Amino acid sequence: MAIELIVTLIMAAGLFGTGVYGALSQTNLVMIMMGIELILAAGLLNLVAFWRYLHPEAIEAQMFVLIVMTVMAVEMAVGFGVAIARFRSRGSVEMEEARELKG
Amino acid sequence: MSVQLVFLLAFGLAAVWFGIVVFRTHSMVRSALALLFSQTAIGAMFLVMQTEFLGVLQIMMMATEMSIMAIFMVMFMMDPGGLGEMDMKHQRKLSLGAGILAFAGATALALLADWGPIATEIPDAGEQVRLLGFELLGRSMLIFESAGLTILTAMIAATAMAVQAANRPEPAAPDRGPDRGKQHGH
Repeated sequence: MAIELIVTLIMAAGLFGTGVYGALSQTNLVMIMMGIELILAAGLLNLVAFWRYLHPEAIEAQMFVLIVMTVMAVEMAVGFGVAIARFRSRGSVEMEEARELKG
Repeated sequence: MSVQLVFLLAFGLAAVWFGIVVFRTHSMVRSALALLFSQTAIGAMFLVMQTEFLGVLQIMMMATEMSIMAIFMVMFMMDPGGLGEMDMKHQRKLSLGAGILAFAGATALALLADWGPIATEIPDAGEQVRLLGFELLGRSMLIFESAGLTILTAMIAATAMAVQAANRPEPAAPDRGPDRGKQHGH
């Protein structure tokens, strides 16, 4: 039985659940980004575990890890850009005060 | 219980615990540091799973990323030290329910799926890097270059967005009296 794989997947599930909770419950833009980072980290962990325990011959899996890391970096860059724009125009990055974005 | 399993459990529990601490503490700097420790524990799990290159990359990248995040937290938060114990949460029940549901669903999938035979032999660290290099600069070159271009575009877009905001007219503010104009003097 693939106990190492299952343990890793359960840890990734814990990170995913924590990230979902954080992204939905926080009112601050930077804290919401932290939740999304945790969700993406859970995805990274799953990718590495699948590569290591199921298909170590398929090196493309490691490339997918690099792509997810790119997504994390892009999310941070754009998120901080939005945060700076929001802070300069409204003086706050609290999402409770961003109700006009609902349209 | 194998040594690999013990380390996977230890680092995995550390990653999840620090992930929870991120949203439990009132101090934003502690939140950023907890996220850094969580991501570092994930990098350590990569090392345990014998993917040295990705493990080191994860630890180095997240150390930089979380340091920047901590600076932003201090800049933008109303109470970065957490001394005022401000409540910065909303829709608690929905969030908690969604988090537990996500965890339960992913755990059930991990436990119930038939994962098939487990690989025991994997390429060593040097061979992995060599194969990854050939993959990135061979068959997957277009994807790899697209990722680089995406980062460049995001950097330019984020900078443009942040700079443009400074030139926008101020939102309608309440009249602060006759000396308001002096604040804009250069």
